[in-house]
Amino acid sequence: MQLVLAAKYIGAAIATIGLTGAGIGIAIVFAALINGTSRNPSLRNTLFPFAILGFALSEATGLFCLMISFLLLYGV
Amino acid sequence: MTNNYINSPLDQFIINNLLEINSPFLNLSTLNFSTFSLYTLFVVLVISLTFILSIGGESNNLVKGSNWLIAIEAIFDTILNMVKGQIGGSVYGRYVPLVYTLFTFILVANLIGMVPYNFALSASLIYIIGISVSLWIGLTILGLFLNKAVFFSLFVPSGTPLPLVPVLVLIELLSYTARAISLGLRLAANTLSGHLLMSILGNLVKNLMSINYFTFIFGLIPLAGIFAIVILEFAIACIQAYVFAILTSSYLKDSIYLH
Repeated sequence: MQLVLAAKYIGAAIATIGLTGAGIGIAIVFAALINGTSRNPSLRNTLFPFAILGFALSEATGLFCLMISFLLLYGV
Repeated sequence: MTNNYINSPLDQFIINNLLEINSPFLNLSTLNFSTFSLYTLFVVLVISLTFILSIGGESNNLVKGSNWLIAIEAIFDTILNMVKGQIGGSVYGRYVPLVYTLFTFILVANLIGMVPYNFALSASLIYIIGISVSLWIGLTILGLFLNKAVFFSLFVPSGTPLPLVPVLVLIELLSYTARAISLGLRLAANTLSGHLLMSILGNLVKNLMSINYFTFIFGLIPLAGIFAIVILEFAIACIQAYVFAILTSSYLKDSIYLH
């Protein structure tokens, strides 16, 4: 039983590795926003909703990992 | 000994039956009035209330409306522009009411869930994924109805070499089917993990601050961080409703115009 518990905690910890991808994704989205805005500042209002959309989509993938980790800790 | 405090952070999503309907012959448990039904009622009440308040108080104000009308107009204008940008053409107007209803319902459900000690309606995976699967079925039927057999050209991207077609059709079919789940899972997982995160961090800081006077003062620093996370969660509640609406209209465009 202790072994199962340990495996549960290890699994929950490993599940958070997926957040790396979400972090890189969010960084790319905002880097592209800064890049685009500095090239053409008049497009800022057009680009911002797309950046927010991209942020939400890439953040959601990270939250899937976080959810798996929470489910392993508290749900199983 | 009974515990009055919350043990597991997942306890906040438990659905209790407030009014039960029992019958010796049939299983009528779907007719139970539960926490879930209560909060659905709350959402409908809040939406109706904003519309009732938007009617002006004075008799000659019925055309102009009160200041609450500005909120409704702003949301409607956002959705109209979004659907126009996504779908375009001449038929986008037919689909504005659907997207507007989805957006308003999810936004109000998310924001009611953010009030402390309230039940988060959109954290129920089965409910939100149920909405997205039924939307997906509706969109597929709409595409088949409008485009007949040409609808299946959606699974072959233009300019594909002939030998690649069988493989690409399988991949495209898989990604088209995965939309049904991923649309709802995105919203529900966001709400679920956001509420879990706030609950876990809040309990940790509460334990830290209740040790002695020094940790009470010291605990104000992480508490400020938690307030920042709460603000982020409010932003995510609005953004996820927007993302759900924008993805629905993007999928509608796929069904109507095929690419």
